[in-house]
Amino acid sequence: MASLSLITPSPEIRDELHRRGGDTARRCFQCATCSAVCSLAPDDQPFPRRQMLMAQWGQIDRLAADPAVWLCHQCNDCTVRCPRNARPGDVLQAVRSMVIEGLAAPAWLGRLVGKARSTWPLLLGAPILFWVVLLGLTGHLAWPAHVTAFEQVVPHVLIYSVFLPVAAWVLAVVFIEGGRFWAFLGSSSPPRRGSFFGALLPVLGEIGTHRRFARCEAARPRRTGHFLLMWGFVGAAVTSGLLVVALYGFGMEMPLPLGHPFKILGNLSAIALVVGVVLLVVERWSQPRVSGATTAFDTFFLTVVFLVVATGVLSEVARLTLPGQVAGGVYVAHLSFVLTLFLSFPYSKFAHALYRTLAMTHERMTAAE
Amino acid sequence: MERIGVVLCSGCGIGEALDMEALRGVAEEAGATVLTHPCLCSEEGLAAIRSALDSGEADALVLAGCSPRAQRHLFRFDPEKTVVERLALREMVTWTHPPGDEDTQALAEDLVRMAVAKVEAGKLPVRLQEEIEDAVLVVGGGLAGMEAALAAAGMGHDVVLVEAADRLGGALAGPPVHLPLAPPYDRPQPSRIPGLVEEVKAAGKIHVATSSRIVRITGQPGQFHVTVRGPEGEVELDVGAIVQATGARPYDASRLGHLGYGAFPDVITARELDLMLAEGRLARPSDGKAPQRIAFVQCAGSRDPEHLPYCSGECCAVTMRQILQVSRDHPEVETCVLYRDIRTPGQLEHLYQAAQEGAGAFFLKACVNGVTGNGNGRLTVRFEDSLLPGVEAMEADLVVLAVGMVPNSADGEAIRELHDAQHRAEHGESEVQKEEAQKIAEQLAHHEGTEILNLDYRQGPDLPVLRYNFPDSHYICFPYETRRTGIYAAGAVRAPMDPAQAVEDAWGAALKAVQCIEAARRGEAVHPRSGDLGVPELFLQRCTQCKRCTEECPFGTLNEDVDGTPQLNPLRCRHCGICMGACPERIISFPDYSVDAVSRQIGAIEVPEEDEEKPRILAFLCENDAYPALDAAAQLRRTWNPWVRIIPVRCLGSVNIVWIADALSRGIDGIILIGCTYGEDYQCHYIRGSELANTRLGNVQETLDRLALESDRIRLVELAHDEFQRIPGILDEFAESIGELEPNPYKGF
Amino acid sequence: MNDTAQLPVLVVGAGVAGLTAALEMAETGHHVVLAEREPVIGGRVARFHRYFPKLCPPTCGLEINARRLEENPRIELRLQTTVTGAQPVDGHWSVTLETAPVHVTGRCTACGLCTEVCPATVSDRLNWGLAEAPAIRRPFPNAWPQRFVLEREACPEGCRACVDACPYDAIDLKAGPGVEEMEVASVVVATGWRPYPLEKLPELGGGVLEGVVSNVQMERLAAPDGPTGGRILIPGTDREPRSVAFVQCAGSRDVNHLPYCSGVCCLASLKQALYVKEQLPECDVSLYYIDRRTPGRNEDFLTRVAGTQGVRLVKGKVGKVERNGDGLELTVEDAEAGKLLHEHADLVVLATGMMPETGDPFGLPRDEDGFAVSDPRRGLAVAGVAHRPADVAASVRDATGAAARALAAAGRRS
Repeated sequence: MASLSLITPSPEIRDELHRRGGDTARRCFQCATCSAVCSLAPDDQPFPRRQMLMAQWGQIDRLAADPAVWLCHQCNDCTVRCPRNARPGDVLQAVRSMVIEGLAAPAWLGRLVGKARSTWPLLLGAPILFWVVLLGLTGHLAWPAHVTAFEQVVPHVLIYSVFLPVAAWVLAVVFIEGGRFWAFLGSSSPPRRGSFFGALLPVLGEIGTHRRFARCEAARPRRTGHFLLMWGFVGAAVTSGLLVVALYGFGMEMPLPLGHPFKILGNLSAIALVVGVVLLVVERWSQPRVSGATTAFDTFFLTVVFLVVATGVLSEVARLTLPGQVAGGVYVAHLSFVLTLFLSFPYSKFAHALYRTLAMTHERMTAAE
Repeated sequence: MERIGVVLCSGCGIGEALDMEALRGVAEEAGATVLTHPCLCSEEGLAAIRSALDSGEADALVLAGCSPRAQRHLFRFDPEKTVVERLALREMVTWTHPPGDEDTQALAEDLVRMAVAKVEAGKLPVRLQEEIEDAVLVVGGGLAGMEAALAAAGMGHDVVLVEAADRLGGALAGPPVHLPLAPPYDRPQPSRIPGLVEEVKAAGKIHVATSSRIVRITGQPGQFHVTVRGPEGEVELDVGAIVQATGARPYDASRLGHLGYGAFPDVITARELDLMLAEGRLARPSDGKAPQRIAFVQCAGSRDPEHLPYCSGECCAVTMRQILQVSRDHPEVETCVLYRDIRTPGQLEHLYQAAQEGAGAFFLKACVNGVTGNGNGRLTVRFEDSLLPGVEAMEADLVVLAVGMVPNSADGEAIRELHDAQHRAEHGESEVQKEEAQKIAEQLAHHEGTEILNLDYRQGPDLPVLRYNFPDSHYICFPYETRRTGIYAAGAVRAPMDPAQAVEDAWGAALKAVQCIEAARRGEAVHPRSGDLGVPELFLQRCTQCKRCTEECPFGTLNEDVDGTPQLNPLRCRHCGICMGACPERIISFPDYSVDAVSRQIGAIEVPEEDEEKPRILAFLCENDAYPALDAAAQLRRTWNPWVRIIPVRCLGSVNIVWIADALSRGIDGIILIGCTYGEDYQCHYIRGSELANTRLGNVQETLDRLALESDRIRLVELAHDEFQRIPGILDEFAESIGELEPNPYKGF
Repeated sequence: MNDTAQLPVLVVGAGVAGLTAALEMAETGHHVVLAEREPVIGGRVARFHRYFPKLCPPTCGLEINARRLEENPRIELRLQTTVTGAQPVDGHWSVTLETAPVHVTGRCTACGLCTEVCPATVSDRLNWGLAEAPAIRRPFPNAWPQRFVLEREACPEGCRACVDACPYDAIDLKAGPGVEEMEVASVVVATGWRPYPLEKLPELGGGVLEGVVSNVQMERLAAPDGPTGGRILIPGTDREPRSVAFVQCAGSRDVNHLPYCSGVCCLASLKQALYVKEQLPECDVSLYYIDRRTPGRNEDFLTRVAGTQGVRLVKGKVGKVERNGDGLELTVEDAEAGKLLHEHADLVVLATGMMPETGDPFGLPRDEDGFAVSDPRRGLAVAGVAHRPADVAASVRDATGAAARALAAAGRRS
């Protein structure tokens, strides 16, 4: 007798989903309203009805290889209409958090970030401690009464010698995780066609315009917040890159004058980030039904983003208005949170940027002609 | 009757459309006293009628005005004192035919003659006044039986409750919980059985006989004579009505070999799981170990043409209940459900929700096609078409089969057929007949010894059953319609049902039993001719023992003596007249409805000479469906051919073929019978009336063909009550087809 | 006790459940007062075309019941009457019956002259607003009693056309309401149900799109005494649909609407699928379900309909109904195939569930879904869908049971 493909219920996995806010999957009775109302579900592989069934049975391995988990933008049209209040949006979010943790390299870091509900003091505190110690060891803790340039607080060389290796590390992790995920996706679907980059490019276009997100109905306000946040990050990243070039390539003086294009770009990004994060937080508070359950997974991510943005803006203001000790402190805090953001990127909700991009690329490469 | 009064109403346009004087003349010519009134249904009109009756001017009335369906409550007269015939001049003549027309007038005059002829032949019914027994016999001491007993006792009747087992409780005895009988619906409810047993014992009016069976029941409603055999021998008792609440049993799981039952001890039925849980344990029968995972297989043998084609309606809910029980006491056990459709109708949906949300059961829609051992002491449940593509099976430590319910009923008609076949096999007229009878007897042998009620009825010892052996009513509107008057099935024996439904059903059946006793006491018929007084009279001197009446009566009214002479049990009778239609000797009649009366009506029709080219058509319309349909058409002012003369009948089954012969010999050109749909979804209120009529008509048509008289002259049409748009067309079309034939050659003879 | 035994039993509602309870008690020998809010008896079922699974017309049973009712001297029928107050008194009830103004009296012969002259039209409530009707009319051909009904509010100022036309002086435009106090031994509450409002289902086109009707409206579209004379047409047009879609659980088994299952809608839709196929054999019929709930021997009916050519049953609840060109488009996942479908339909029938009529002067206990629970100790029995979701056969069964409870509660020896 050929071996049968067995289904094994997994209460453990289901409990884990429960801890991550996906306990409502057990209510699902497979009516398929969710798939029918989802604006993003493709006709030939609709979601999230089948994913709900997998979640109910704790079939995490199947879910980990399922691009639909990432094609879901959690716009919650399904959650609003679900007749059993099984909240497919929350369930898939919980699944995503489990998949992120499951794919994490190294696994312990994934677990550490995954358990942010209890590990957050460490995740936020360790980088602060790191900077304080580093500045102390290198003798940079004596800040002037008035900071005219942050070079006076933390020398650029110190920043880059920390962040460049960290960036390299994160990139390496992204490659490992992305590679694993890519292999999983490939194992469960029709063969891919065409080139990776050929598919990636239009996907990036789609992400850049948030075209897909715009199809969501229930979560329309969130789309704006998300859009601003994403572009704010891109802007901030580009500004940082440009600054490196400006500093070392052209030896420009920092801080740049307010009217400098780089400065303007940086400030616009900051505004986008501030508005974006505020929109998202407000939406989450005011529309809990539409925005889905708020779990540690979301809170940690939003908190880090908020702290990075807040300290970033604050340091800019503080440098001009407040005593050097305060401005320096805020700036160091900013650097610390950025470090947390960098390091947790592959393990936190932030990682959806990676997985969703890959899933969308995979979708494009496997789509019927 | 002798003193006939005809009251002609000229209201609602009748007076303008007809020559009322001519009509009066027709009635007077027929020997009636005639009165006209401009509005018969007004207070003045009614007073005029009453004074005609009170003065003794008339003992029979033809009220020629509006339909008998209109203002019925105003025209209620004492049926023991007056024969009343309402003639629908308005609906059948003036609303539906051109005013002032010669044909319209001829129609009205014929109808008046016919009505007079009918009341002339009518007799006053004599109310039955019999000794009536008050007690109710309840057969079966489960949930439904005990509730029925309490209900009847609550309505003031003595009850004898007979239970075959040695204690009360039935199928629900044992387990401490069952499905909810009342809100809240999201959890199992503590068993009602122990409390019920106490209530039954405490109710002074209920006599309980356990370990007892019915040996014989003779008699009729109000006068059943019952022999019960119990531990102390046989007891005789008299009861007025019977409730059969013998319940249902689980389908025999040993036939479900493909699901591993019998081959693997760890495959059990839901009932077996209940018994296990009742003992407070949950263990695999094979090794006594606690199961880690239970697979519930829904529709095990149900919705399956090989086993039970029907759905038992409660198994899904029972599974939910069991999941909730298991999860409460053994939260570590994984419960998985493999289903085709989850059927928790109504508020039992809350129980499904609870099994999902509260108990966290795993659900997968799939078609289970086999259960086997996996070699490691576990079981493999194989399935296909699951909602998770690629998945084919699951493993479990314990498999629970949700098997359906089978009624504890006996097929009365089949048993009778078996006994008849056995008799013929023994005493048949020829070897061929004996052989054939032997074959039938073998086919039906499994019915041997299945009797429950042991009725001493010509038509079999138990209630007739519908499909799948449920002795249910066939009528949606009348779930207690029974073919054995005074005997009502209740609970899961009647139809698949859950405990909450069975309780209501028991109360309903108890009311019907009590009602039948009361109707018998008043000498009245029960449903559908409730309140009717006239019972059939049999002129037995002319009986040829052909047995058609005893066989065709839908209600088992007539027994046979040793010679085959019918013996009437008038309180079983439902007054449909099928026996009257069946009798070739025309010896069965009702006081107010008889072969003679209708023959006279036919005789009252004036048939024009052949050269007038005005054919005459006789239409027998079932008074329950076809006549109301034509009446409704009339209210919409639809028109139809004026050659048609209508005679409403109680049922097409009461149409005696002598009427057809009468009509043809009178020169009537065509005869149409319109009655209820027959076949599997029959709508005939008397089961097979229109079907019997069709069979009888088939024989007549053969005869006509032999006489070279076109068989097309006779037609039977099935019609539903709401087909009022269709019926005028049926009449027109038939009239047209008759018009195309040569006139009836018997005209003028 | 003896006094109570002389009192009648009150039945509230003359739908199929109330009618049954009243008749069964009266035929057992008890006096009954039957109060009905509407001017006709029969309730919801009088507006159905056919019953499942036999496809027999409800009027057939109503015919028998009307005859039983009229011929039984032990039933007193009060039409247009509601129970507005109830007080327990010495083990029985004192109730207040309020009768709305009876503008067409018992003198009406149903001759129809009034309708011919009536200048006013109203939206026909008995046809769920699918048609207009004269303000004075017979509600439908088989409506019982055979008496006309006037919707007084629709009368134009000062109009007396019907009064002048009536030869029998049966119309009283000035009639006022009546109030009566009455002692009754016990009560059967059979107040029935309302369909879940279509307007609450806008995402399924309910109340928004013209080609979307409810299952109760579909009954009228198919009924020979309905607004189209029994022709199944796309509402607002005179076109026959080429495709009809049935959307099951529209607002049922849904925590956002009715959390329970009404237990009848699957069978009702299967039945209506046959209406369509009987009339329009070429029409494509599809039915979208969560679970096919056809318990008992009704399974045979499912088998029959599912085996009918041109009828397709799809597992999946419809998510959206939108206008698409000339017709409608449904979005639904075929869960068994795992594919999203965008299906065209000319006519969409939403299988909406039943909501119990709430509000009674007896203070009946209600369950979480609003269904009333019998209270035999207070002499109150609930029958029909007021008690729980049920089909006709079950309502009649429960009504007979409730009648027994009411009699037992009345403490009467029959």
